[in-house]
Amino acid sequence: MSQLALMIDLERCFGCKSCEAACKQEHRLGPGQYRNKVVWLGNASTGAPDFLTLTCQHCERPACLRACPVHPKAITKDPDTGVVEVHESLCTGCGECVMACPYSAMGYDAQGHHSVKCDLCPERREKELEPACAEICPGYAISFGERDNLLEKAEAEGRHLRDHDHFLLKPQTIYLEKIERENGRVNGAENSSLYEEPRRPRFVDSPAANGVFEEKGPDFPYLHDKKTLQADRVVPGGCNFCFNCCTAKFHFQGDKLINVTGNDEDPVLNGKICPKAQFTLQMHHNEHRLQYPLKRVGRRGDNEFERITWEQALDEIAAKLEVLREKWGTEALAMFVGTRTGLITQKGYARLFSQMWGTPNIQGTDPFCAAGKVVAYEVTHGTNGNGNSYTPEDIGSAGMYLYIGDNQAETRPVYFGKVNDWRIRNKTRMVVVDPRYTATASKADKWLAIRPGTDMALGLAMAHHILSENLHDLHFCDEWVLGWERWRDFIIAKGYSPDWAEAITGIPADEIRALSEDVARADGCVIFGSRGLNQHTNSVQTNRAMMFVAAITGNWGRKGGAYVNMTAGPPIAANAPENRRAKIEKPMARRSPAGWLSAMREGKPYPIKGLITCNNPLAQWPGQDDAREAFKALDLVVHIELFANETSAYADYVLPAAGGIEKGELGRTNDDRRVVWIDKMIDPPGEAKPDGWIWIELGRRLGFGDVMKEEYKDPGKFWDEMCIDNDFLRGVTQKRLHSVPYRWVRFPVASEDAPEQETLYLEGTTATGQLEGKRFPTPSGRLEFWTEALEEKFSKVGLSALPEFYSEKENLLQLPYLEYEHGDDDLEVISPFSKVPTGSRAARIVQPDEKNLGDALRRQGFETTLITGRPPAPHFHSWTHYFWQAQEMWPDLYCQIHPEKAGELGIEDGEKVRVETAHGAIEAMAWVNAGIREDSVFVPIGWGERQPYHPWRSVNFLTDITQRDPASDQTNLKSLLCRISRA
Amino acid sequence: MRRLDIGDRLLAYLVFAAAVVLVTFFAFQHELPRDWHLPGSPTLYLFGVAGTILLCVSVVFVITKRTGIGGSPLGWFSAHVVTATLGAVLVTVHSGGFLRYAPALLLVALLFLVILGVWARVCLSKDMSATFASREQSFSPLSSEKREQMARLIEEKESLLSRLEPGANEGVFSPRIKHWLTRPGLTLAYARLVGRENKLLGMRASVSTAQAYWRLVHIVLAFAFILGMLGHIITVTFFAGYVSGGGEIYWWHLTKW
Repeated sequence: MSQLALMIDLERCFGCKSCEAACKQEHRLGPGQYRNKVVWLGNASTGAPDFLTLTCQHCERPACLRACPVHPKAITKDPDTGVVEVHESLCTGCGECVMACPYSAMGYDAQGHHSVKCDLCPERREKELEPACAEICPGYAISFGERDNLLEKAEAEGRHLRDHDHFLLKPQTIYLEKIERENGRVNGAENSSLYEEPRRPRFVDSPAANGVFEEKGPDFPYLHDKKTLQADRVVPGGCNFCFNCCTAKFHFQGDKLINVTGNDEDPVLNGKICPKAQFTLQMHHNEHRLQYPLKRVGRRGDNEFERITWEQALDEIAAKLEVLREKWGTEALAMFVGTRTGLITQKGYARLFSQMWGTPNIQGTDPFCAAGKVVAYEVTHGTNGNGNSYTPEDIGSAGMYLYIGDNQAETRPVYFGKVNDWRIRNKTRMVVVDPRYTATASKADKWLAIRPGTDMALGLAMAHHILSENLHDLHFCDEWVLGWERWRDFIIAKGYSPDWAEAITGIPADEIRALSEDVARADGCVIFGSRGLNQHTNSVQTNRAMMFVAAITGNWGRKGGAYVNMTAGPPIAANAPENRRAKIEKPMARRSPAGWLSAMREGKPYPIKGLITCNNPLAQWPGQDDAREAFKALDLVVHIELFANETSAYADYVLPAAGGIEKGELGRTNDDRRVVWIDKMIDPPGEAKPDGWIWIELGRRLGFGDVMKEEYKDPGKFWDEMCIDNDFLRGVTQKRLHSVPYRWVRFPVASEDAPEQETLYLEGTTATGQLEGKRFPTPSGRLEFWTEALEEKFSKVGLSALPEFYSEKENLLQLPYLEYEHGDDDLEVISPFSKVPTGSRAARIVQPDEKNLGDALRRQGFETTLITGRPPAPHFHSWTHYFWQAQEMWPDLYCQIHPEKAGELGIEDGEKVRVETAHGAIEAMAWVNAGIREDSVFVPIGWGERQPYHPWRSVNFLTDITQRDPASDQTNLKSLLCRISRA
Repeated sequence: MRRLDIGDRLLAYLVFAAAVVLVTFFAFQHELPRDWHLPGSPTLYLFGVAGTILLCVSVVFVITKRTGIGGSPLGWFSAHVVTATLGAVLVTVHSGGFLRYAPALLLVALLFLVILGVWARVCLSKDMSATFASREQSFSPLSSEKREQMARLIEEKESLLSRLEPGANEGVFSPRIKHWLTRPGLTLAYARLVGRENKLLGMRASVSTAQAYWRLVHIVLAFAFILGMLGHIITVTFFAGYVSGGGEIYWWHLTKW
């Protein structure tokens, strides 16, 4: 056999660290022990992030081996395979090999006192499996095989190898250089010397950050003898963490979960998963899990509880709910049920409970994440979500990828791995528009650093240029876009040209023109948008502007062309019989829970006095000072969650929930309509219960047992009988879900034997549930950009169906912004965009010469734009902060700040800074990095002050409850003025 | 995977127990007969002998580790830790707390060796662990000058190796005790080339001074201790008169020179 090796493609790696998680899982490594590590580096001048997967080079002249003082050597090089291995039974732990390796690829187990290193997974090789890292890499960046074959493959693809043999050790691990971009540059640098002046985030590897793991080792199965942990059964299921909705395989020894891997039988995701899916292992074996019902004994917020039984907890909660209903009415109970709970809970059990109880105030996380795009899709296209799929024939066949405000590499890494792979294979152009040089941007041909909150201007200017130059798809516009001429005339009359947009967006007009032409001329362009577009007060209009660009270029209802703004949930809607539903007298107070605070604090428009909440609103809701004050005003707070968090501290009752394979549920919503089923495979810890069990038991105590039946505690039965009775889901039965080894079915499928559809809305097709010939599920069967009905709807909230530009009121520029004509304390406006009667606010667009709030703030020193958003791939909201390895990878809350700005403020990389807005202040660690606009800083979401490893105050102390899109109630979380100083 | 080595906690208990024994001994030493106050007295002499024997286990460890004779180097390493600690206790008791004369330097060396060993195991291990993935510069563009230097060095090594161990592969070769005993000159020359190579590799320069040199210091000090111990044994055994300074010779000896 010739030399075995890994081949690591620097063009494909986007730093998700899934390989690191796989390695630790495979080899049961604990904190601080590494066989591989993904190092985040940044080009000092351009800020372009680069990622180096550092692992053993299996050198022909291994310096580590020669340095080993033991005889026979504790390190050997296999003469057949060339693999360099440590024999731990011979290693005395002197550390000479650790120093000797110039690639720093020799790990060391500080607890067990011996060297550890990559041995290319010999146990897996014996089973003809690839090393764990190669198998799982979502980026297809790690290949394994005989070195000669790998070299042939690289040559066939025309790839250049990185020569990193400084020391003539003849390293055998192959690194493929990044591919040159425009003008021979790679990410703006003049050559590919990406590690010449590397800048790694100082706070990431700080000893203080890693010190938190010293006191206690990780929970099972890490640091356990892997030889004794052999799986005796493997069950397919899915990851329930994020919106990539990856399929996974769960490996058990008896009833103990010992491994989580990708599902190699999945034809779409191909067995790739990100670190989060692997951290499922750390969720199910976790000392921080809530295990027993708790009742508050101290003051609200003091976090003092006593353990009680489920009987007591549910009886008391039911009794208090009855008092609440008696005193304040049914609408005084609000329910916050996010996607953490699982879609079956959110749109099934909890929805049934709300109908039986009679409250309109039930909501999930949508108004903080995606409500704007949901409304935009619904008014334009008739239903939420695109109709495309991540297949080579569909999204994989695009002629161009344009990401606007979507950092897919870090938010849906497995999908991005596919797109990036297609980009490389097909030589597809990729452009990223984002204020930050994100991991996604690092793979693009061009990064356009747009000013936060001005994407709408970019969309309008692109449309202006495309229409002015007659680059639009006239056939598609005439046939399938209603009101496009009206938009065209409006945009041109308003002068929303690239020149106009340049000053607003900060993107040169020529770049906007070039981008527009690229999109128009590409044979299919997939425009990805996400929270960067959604989390603004102009969310709906921005999304519509981008949708318009996609539509007029014919990138709608075709393969390889789409507007993809993240996920679209399956239309689950469990309904109680009409005659058993409580009558709901009042509209929902507001679509966004941020708009409930007035009802909680002041009882306006009507009192909300009780809240049953899941997730972690006291880190997640905007305006944390206001939110906490509101929680204190409530008569009853019940918190259902897996981990004690900030919200638990304010609860009267904390109910321990089961998650994922502990209860049986659906994966979250995802980009391409896959409904992923996760079976119940293990029991939850302690006395924790599935959310469905909790809602049914509570319902039974309130007399809802005839509808919320005991038998529905079985989620499979509940799914089949209550959740799928519509043309979209009728075929997604348990039987069909279990008939495929990857446990997903792509909706719509109207019957169990109906075929899945790769791409919806193709010309000549009829949309599901529509009359024959209706291609799109709108009233007209066409995409609707302007109709009289739409104009009437928008006018109710003070806007127009025509896209007049406005941005945020807290702005560094004098731009139009919204002024609200209502607070959250009345029901004068009922939203025309909600499916149930919902209170809303009308607004008007204020021109900058009229007044300018940004000016006043800037005079107070708030001269930087704060952007909030998702941290890198290992994290997702609060959960992952309870997993040691996610915390090891990205420990502290950070504030990404440009070196110029940091220099002005005297801030150094890795030091603590104070970030302050007009709404509050927090502290974070500075990450001085040029990959962000000079006038902006970025602070991620997810951290909270009661988390076990690295507690920090949530970034939502900086955000504002009032800045919301009047059409969707979406909160602005992406553009607030702030000031930064050394803490 | 956990191995059967001495964990940090056990090591801490061991050292703590040793310290407790010594503190207790010296706290109650005045209660004991005179023999327990005189360094090397017939009673304390036995402690010295026993301690020396235990300390010699470390020498055996060094030999077994480098020759492969005697079984598991890890087992011998653990034995070295335990016996060195116990040996240190016995030797300290052997001193009777008599710290004003030269042999006390051996106690100081012993104390330093124990502290250094424990510190390296408990504290420096974390630095060793943190070394992983710390040299991303090694993946940056090449320095042709360094590569040329390395090429010349490898040529020299190969040339020397053909005489030192014909047929050996330079890439995986490092000198062993056998080479030091049979071809000391060549081995020394080869070791110097290895030293130059390590310098080019940045072996010690890329880590903290403590991490780079603790082991070297530990070894050098251990050698110094052994030499000192031998000196002490020789002087008290053969030069008892000189050691007593004309006073009472109460310990076992062969000559009174």
